[in-house]
Amino acid sequence: MSGERTQSALLGALGVALMLGAWEVIGQNRLVGMTWPPFSSVMAFLFDPSRQALFSRALTATLGSAGLGYLIGGLAGLAFAMLGQILPVLRPGTDRATAVIHAIPSIALAPIFIVLLSREAAPTALAALNAFFVFYVAGASGFASSSQTQRDLMAALGASGTKRFFHVDLPAAFPGIVSGMKLAVPAALIGAIIGEWFGAPRGLGILIVNAMQNFQIPLLWSVVVLAATTSLVLFSAMTLLERIVHERYR
Amino acid sequence: MTDRTAAPAIDFRGVTKSFRLPDGKTLTALTDTSLSVGKGEFVALLGPSGCGKSTLLRLVAGLEAPSSGAVAVEGRAPEELVKAHRLGIAFQEHALLPWLTVRQNIELPFRIAGRPVMRERVQGLINLVGLAGFEAARPKQLSGGMRQRVAIARSLVLEPEILLLDEPFGALDAVTRRQMNVELQRIWSESRISTLLVTHAVEEALFLADRVIVLSGRPGKVVRTLEVPFARPRHPDVMRTAQFHQLVDELTETLHPTDGAGH
Ligand SMILES: Nc1ncnc2c1ncn2[C@@H]1O[C@H](COP(=O)(O)OP(=O)(O)OP(=O)(O)O)[C@@H](O)[C@H]1O
Ligand SMILES: [Mg+2]
Repeated sequence: MSGERTQSALLGALGVALMLGAWEVIGQNRLVGMTWPPFSSVMAFLFDPSRQALFSRALTATLGSAGLGYLIGGLAGLAFAMLGQILPVLRPGTDRATAVIHAIPSIALAPIFIVLLSREAAPTALAALNAFFVFYVAGASGFASSSQTQRDLMAALGASGTKRFFHVDLPAAFPGIVSGMKLAVPAALIGAIIGEWFGAPRGLGILIVNAMQNFQIPLLWSVVVLAATTSLVLFSAMTLLERIVHERYR
Repeated sequence: MTDRTAAPAIDFRGVTKSFRLPDGKTLTALTDTSLSVGKGEFVALLGPSGCGKSTLLRLVAGLEAPSSGAVAVEGRAPEELVKAHRLGIAFQEHALLPWLTVRQNIELPFRIAGRPVMRERVQGLINLVGLAGFEAARPKQLSGGMRQRVAIARSLVLEPEILLLDEPFGALDAVTRRQMNVELQRIWSESRISTLLVTHAVEEALFLADRVIVLSGRPGKVVRTLEVPFARPRHPDVMRTAQFHQLVDELTETLHPTDGAGH
């Protein structure tokens, strides 16, 4: 079993190496033109000491608004899902409201947030909105994932609705919620970056917009690499947590 | 010792239970069933697979409502006993919560009832069902028989007024099963809880019960009631007597009239 895991990790590493190699070859030979720099020059740009302050300020800002949005959206999404579970009459309503909110592209919502809140708050608001949807779906399906036998047991023990919720529905929902926590990480990051495009003072999104407008190709690629790596690292950490919770609660 | 003059612990009056199947047909699990369990009486229920034994227990626990007829528990609706946390039940599928340890699973009824956990009682039951040393194990780490024993301990932990056991020893080997039968008899003799036990094992029914009720194949209906003549306390040696063997044969014949070709 651990041999299997090592093997899949090795295969994964091989895949990444192949991809980076192809990137390098395409860039070195200008196969798709000037807008595709080789991987090595992107790395050199990213790790240039003179730009460390710039990148770390932007990353901190984006992580800050994504994190806060993740928290707000996560709590709201779970609370909304809980409402639908404890008061089943509300369930169709919470489902529909969430679907409608999610059906509106965040690009279209961003200007409204800017008008309603402020430019600074837009990244957090969009991150929260994205996280809200993922958490609501994970929570709503999670709370319904207890087995019939478990619900029968609660009924035969004379459990009240709240007792049943806290002793069976909630723990049975943990695996689903943790999977949601994982999927909400990139969702919140994307929300924050898009929110920044509408004029936040700093952040990865701002760097992307500036790089694009000024045709700073290495900067653009560096920021994208930074955003993707950050998202992947957080996602992997959550995968670990997910594995532990699934082991315990299933 | 059994008081059948007061309101019986469990009373079935002409109960029929039908299920509506997804394809629109109805399936009758129990038909016109009347039976009762007296206060402090131990009744065993025998019957072929699918004849509605679990359904009958679920009716007592208020998990199903009869299609016609009436089910009364201590003269009232089953829900009342359940709401007062006075019902103990061990499901056929054991129904342990996978995220709780053995000890936490057994403590669960206290928490649901909002009562302080009686640690000594919990530990006593753990020892009784032979799971000392496994207190911190999770259900996944236990064998099928061990899980059933946890479920039995959990059903007893609140000292219920009525105990429902659905094939609680089904997953046990013959030796452990006999041990558990002896233990259950001992616990039961101390508390005299009104008990309804579903089993496939004729010997188990005769050894444990005051009365054995045999149901017919689906739809289930009472076809035979037998008063068990053995005095209590019963020593496992009664299972070796000629009378015991004769009753086993009789009941087996009732269960499988076509010379014992069971399932
Ligand atoms: N919720 C339900 N919906 C539809 N049919 C059901 C339902 N519950 C039970 N049945 C049917 O009722 C019949 C009796 O089921 P029950 O579980 O009571 O049998 P049983 O006597 O306990 O069998 P076994 O000895 O195999 O446990 C079966 O045919 C079963 O398919
Ligand atoms: Mg059954």
